[in-house]
Amino acid sequence: MTQVVLAAVLGLLFALGTFLILRRDVVRVVWGVSIISQAANVYLVTMGGLSGQAPVLGHDGGHPVACTVPDAGAGCITDPLVQALVLTAIVIGFGTTAFALVLTYRLYEEHGTLDLGEVTVE
Amino acid sequence: MSADLAVSTSHVVVAPMLAALATAVATLATRRYGDVQRVLSLLGIGAYGAFVVLLTGTVLSGGTLTYQLSAWPAPFGITLVADALAVFMLSLAALVTVAILAYSVAYVGDQGQRVSYHPLFHFMLLGVSGSFLTGDVFNLFVWFEVMLMPSYVFVVFYSGPRHTAAALQYTVLNLVGSALMLVAIGGLYATTGTLNMADLARRLADPAAFGIDPAPVLGLSAILFIVFALKAGIVPFQFWVPPAYRAAPAPISAFLAGVTKKVGVYAIVRLYFTVFAVGAVEGGLGLPGLSGGSFLAFFGPVLFLMALASMLVGGIGAVSRDNLDDVFAYSSIGQVGFIVLPLGVVATVGDHSLGAPVTDLQVLGIVAALVYSLNHAVAKSLLFMVSGAVHDIAGTIELDRLGGITTRYPVLAGSFFVGSLALIGIPPLSGFFGKLLVFDTGGRALAAGAPGAGLALAGALVGAIFTIAYLSRTWTKAFWGGVTPVVENGTRSVVLVAVVAALALVVVAIGIGFDPVYSFAESAAEAALDTEAYVDAVDPEVVTHE
Repeated sequence: MTQVVLAAVLGLLFALGTFLILRRDVVRVVWGVSIISQAANVYLVTMGGLSGQAPVLGHDGGHPVACTVPDAGAGCITDPLVQALVLTAIVIGFGTTAFALVLTYRLYEEHGTLDLGEVTVE
Repeated sequence: MSADLAVSTSHVVVAPMLAALATAVATLATRRYGDVQRVLSLLGIGAYGAFVVLLTGTVLSGGTLTYQLSAWPAPFGITLVADALAVFMLSLAALVTVAILAYSVAYVGDQGQRVSYHPLFHFMLLGVSGSFLTGDVFNLFVWFEVMLMPSYVFVVFYSGPRHTAAALQYTVLNLVGSALMLVAIGGLYATTGTLNMADLARRLADPAAFGIDPAPVLGLSAILFIVFALKAGIVPFQFWVPPAYRAAPAPISAFLAGVTKKVGVYAIVRLYFTVFAVGAVEGGLGLPGLSGGSFLAFFGPVLFLMALASMLVGGIGAVSRDNLDDVFAYSSIGQVGFIVLPLGVVATVGDHSLGAPVTDLQVLGIVAALVYSLNHAVAKSLLFMVSGAVHDIAGTIELDRLGGITTRYPVLAGSFFVGSLALIGIPPLSGFFGKLLVFDTGGRALAAGAPGAGLALAGALVGAIFTIAYLSRTWTKAFWGGVTPVVENGTRSVVLVAVVAALALVVVAIGIGFDPVYSFAESAAEAALDTEAYVDAVDPEVVTHE
């Protein structure tokens, strides 16, 4: 059940992000980009498996096996590696979002508008 | 740590990256003292070049080196791998960036240099070097970000209306690319259980033993491929190239076209020819028009078509542009087609599975791509820096307002001439061998009966004719003819012209002394195709569980 709900939420997040990126308002485009990168982060977490136990060494008394390993069996743990990956990705996303917002402000200063229809590259 | 866990850590592998990182920090700390900062920056790039030479010498004489971070054995720790392919790309980057930085010191305004130019330049170089050296897919994502962040700032460096608009487009596109890359990497981890490239190759070669279904891996590697194609600016992911190259300062356009683009090319060669090449979907791909079940049976035709489209779009675009930067930017799109074309041709030739003997034709295709990359890196950075020097003299790069540069500035015009001839492929310049190897790959593939080889030859010929057309048009409009007022009244900077002329000499030197370059590229190509040696060098531990 959790899988189905999460898959649906992920699909919605990616759809919403794509919709916002295609808008003419620059701020919405930046929103869209952040939503897509957050959706990618949530997706990464789900890649570690949702059904396992907390990844604490010796939690189950035995030799822990990650649920991502084939034939892991019932007592498997949720893969903790993906969470380390997501932490890195969140930090990078934080920096890029800040930059994108500053860039939006500079764009507004230079063009006097946030409507992409009036902002031309040439 | 017990003896059986002892892992190889050669510190020389990280030396170039440490040089770039230390210089970035040092130039940031000395930003108030302009002269000190410039000297440190130049010393830093010198150290970077020296370490790359040292690393290249060590790898070419002693074989592949690995660096396991904190002596954690692969696949648990972060692995850096310096094999012949990685050091070839590093040498390319070092050669071009030394010239670009020397040029930048004279080209970029005082204020710009003090605030951010030097630290960002070295951070970008750090990201590029990390991407070439890493042996871990997620680590590759991190180095990509390290490389991209400074490039966003460089595109908006002059922060005028045109620059902010171009930077917004460039940034948003690459952020979406990064999200796609994360999705692909997460999926690869979930389906294969590893992020280490060597471990990934070993598992894909024997999917049943590791409980891997190859079909989703193929799909995820295709998503990853989009990201690399975006970085390399291959059609249909090329549209960000002209505005970004035009907005960035001239030396940075040289960096982006010469070096950053090659990171995308490198990633395609490393991941799709070393790692994913060993994968195969049992019972065929089941896609219309594609035969065979290996991953490269899918990526070969894709690369092939994208290369043909790039050559056409780049060529047609460049012929009709009216300023130097746009011509060179579209030319970059076309030239990347020439780099990718031999890859597409040889991808479907022969057997790429683990342990299969590597054929001469496969090696030739990769050599062609690498030699062409080297030629494009040097010649295109030269042309972008000529454009910068012209802007410095005349205050414009519009073809209509330029003319008579040959009369007033013969050295500058001569350097442009050498760079153009190298792109066109006239002997004895570096570009001749690049073109020759591309056509040789096509010809031999045709003789071996590879599908589409005739089309590849025809496409390369059309692309070459376009190259001649747009470069001679630029030459006649901007460099020949009567001296226009803007050219007449300008003054040149000796340093800018000297750097450009030095690069022109490098183009000639690579062409005349091509033999060592060829053998270097050949060992790089063999390293790219020898998955078994790559896996052995990294030596990922076999994870067992009860």
